[in-house]
Amino acid sequence: MAALTVSPPPRFAHESEAELARILDYYQVAWRYEPDTFPISWNADGAVVESFSPDFYLPEVDLYLELTTLKQSLVRKKNRKMRWLRQLYPEVRVKLFYARDFKALMLKYGRLDFLADVAVMNGNGPLGDTGGGED
Amino acid sequence: MQMQETTAAPIHADVEEVLLTGDQIRNRVAELGRQLSTDYADRDPVLVSVLKGSIIFLADLIRAMEVPLSLDLMEVSSYGASTESSGQVRILKDLSKPIAGRHVIVVEDIIDTGLTLNYLLKYLADKNPASVRIVCLLDKPARRLAEIPIDYRGFTIEDRFVIGYGLDYDERYRNLPYIGVLRPSVYGTPPED
Repeated sequence: MAALTVSPPPRFAHESEAELARILDYYQVAWRYEPDTFPISWNADGAVVESFSPDFYLPEVDLYLELTTLKQSLVRKKNRKMRWLRQLYPEVRVKLFYARDFKALMLKYGRLDFLADVAVMNGNGPLGDTGGGED
Repeated sequence: MQMQETTAAPIHADVEEVLLTGDQIRNRVAELGRQLSTDYADRDPVLVSVLKGSIIFLADLIRAMEVPLSLDLMEVSSYGASTESSGQVRILKDLSKPIAGRHVIVVEDIIDTGLTLNYLLKYLADKNPASVRIVCLLDKPARRLAEIPIDYRGFTIEDRFVIGYGLDYDERYRNLPYIGVLRPSVYGTPPED
């Protein structure tokens, strides 16, 4: 089976996204980073005023994946965007990975040290803002 | 092993809650064994189990099956344990016999992200088996990242870190006779949500 790592690797908005990409590479699951942008609101003139770019797309399972943050205000914002995305594009499969999901993943792989490192880099919570999708 | 006694069973001090008792597991495994025995009558299946977590489930499952069968064991590297090596999943222990033309039943303890099993299914498909089906004791779908066609499942569980009945944390707790939720204080991260 061939390596799937994108070359050159994309510029990830957050180290947690890079870590997820490494996990997907490890298990040879194909992924693309922020490949698509979905408009979710328009002004009266029809111009797009808000859009949503999920962090990852997994083509083998036709699934978009968005990593999110511990900051409650941003979680609410992403939850709202997810609701609009699901209403406007019901055929699109998208999953929101909350901070607790990512932490559980790190626990599963014995990588809690990674969370501590990221917290130090951010100077805030264990996951911080993953950035992607905040268009 | 530190235990605290309850009226039902001794519960390990590191267990926050018993999710599935030994009796619940035993009854469900017996049901799965009967179902597999019916579905695989005269098919001489080979059960392929993935080390190490599934060994207790496998041991109980095969004793609940009443059809001729054979066993094989595989071990697959895990991300966290080997990020410094090849950077890709590896087969640490391969099948001991060919499975071409055989009816394969993959026996898994728990399916979480599905990433390991997704890799394994592609690997097994290249060996040209007659069929491949999956039996898992625990299905934890909350963080599924791969499409896994589960044919037989024991229990669907919520998103908790579970141990016991073969499942470990840092190689411990596999010998607990029930499935329990590990106290977050054991791995040093207090619950947040």
